[in-house]
Amino acid sequence: MENNDDFRVKRIKKMLLEMAKGNFFYTLEPSDRNDNIASLVVMLNMVSEEIRAAFIHQGFANAHTTPQCIIQLSLILDDRGQIELVTNGTCSLLSYLPKDLIGKPITEFMTEKSRERWTKKLSKYLKRERSETVLFLEFLTNEGLVLAKDCQLSVYQALDGSGQKILLNTVFFSKGEPFETGLPKKTLKVTKGTKEHKVTLTPKDIQIIRGVHDAIINNLDKDLPSLKELAHQEGTNEYKLKYGFKQVYGTTIFRFLIQERLRMARTLILHSTHTIKQIVQMTGFKSKTHFSRAFKDKYGRSPSELRS
Amino acid sequence: MKRTHENNYAVYLLTHELMHVIYKKVPLIDLKAAQLIVQDRMYLQEGKEMPVLCDIRDVRTINKAARDYLAREGSLWIKALAFLIDPPVTDDLSIFYMDTNPSKIPTASFVSKSEALAFLAKHTS
Repeated sequence: MENNDDFRVKRIKKMLLEMAKGNFFYTLEPSDRNDNIASLVVMLNMVSEEIRAAFIHQGFANAHTTPQCIIQLSLILDDRGQIELVTNGTCSLLSYLPKDLIGKPITEFMTEKSRERWTKKLSKYLKRERSETVLFLEFLTNEGLVLAKDCQLSVYQALDGSGQKILLNTVFFSKGEPFETGLPKKTLKVTKGTKEHKVTLTPKDIQIIRGVHDAIINNLDKDLPSLKELAHQEGTNEYKLKYGFKQVYGTTIFRFLIQERLRMARTLILHSTHTIKQIVQMTGFKSKTHFSRAFKDKYGRSPSELRS
Repeated sequence: MKRTHENNYAVYLLTHELMHVIYKKVPLIDLKAAQLIVQDRMYLQEGKEMPVLCDIRDVRTINKAARDYLAREGSLWIKALAFLIDPPVTDDLSIFYMDTNPSKIPTASFVSKSEALAFLAKHTS
């Protein structure tokens, strides 16, 4: 039945409906097939991932008006992995009622891959009295969509002497009112003070800002012209470029440039035989001291430490 | 100079004028996979900028972290990039990748290997 086209299209529609509600955390199970529906599934999963990233970024970068819902997936399991407690959020995410979940093994709601990983890893963690780890798990909802996320697992000893328990936890972000039932009561509003400049950006402005972003990435070794010059070159003004960039990408042009240069430098330090002096030049830094300090700030280790 | 190399995710065939990377059939290319793929390619190239032929016909899922890594960190020492694809899945996958990760490296996808090689030759001469 799962290979039937009707069934596959139905799944895609379910996924689209979730996206329309602002839930970008579901994915569709990919298949090995190479046909148009498989292709659509691949695209849809990638689109959803891109929106998810943009959407969380926006939420934290300039969320003056965007309400954010955090939905927590939380379960308590016994040492055999049987579900003892679920939160409402968990039920909504998985589209099951609590009674469908409680008493069942958690593996029943996972993809096969995750089931294997779970079984393999868990026995190791249960050997210790207490342990904590992060495990990438894929859950299957009642509607056949996949929920994939890094989950925090904490193994602890129950105080009543009933043995080991497992707390499984992760969060998802959503916009607006994602579920008909079990709605999270608190919405999180992120504000970054009142001083922030807000510019109104037209689609053309955003296009220009994206162009600047791409030009920076593709010219990391070159000097960046002054903001004023850059704005003139691109047909906008300094104010719009400066604050518009911050609004769209959540960071200033200068910080973004440094961050991208450091990423390139890190790759070169790890995988090339160039000397650090050469790398400093190749990545457009003016002084080795400045480079080393910025590098250590970002990656916690100095360039030479990373090399050795 | 002819070298070959293999890791869990890809097979590399290196001649003095071309780096040929064949992605293996794996369930998912994630960030860890992307890092290894780039690391091994750079190790083989030894600092030499080259045209790269990337056979992605067996790729099915490559997540965002991996796509971003390949597009940024993974773009070093590439003169031109040709994807070898098998429509529709990998065709759409390559279109998506190219559209969402604008790059200054000449990049295109092909069904035929000879056309891909011709493209690489044109952009590296």
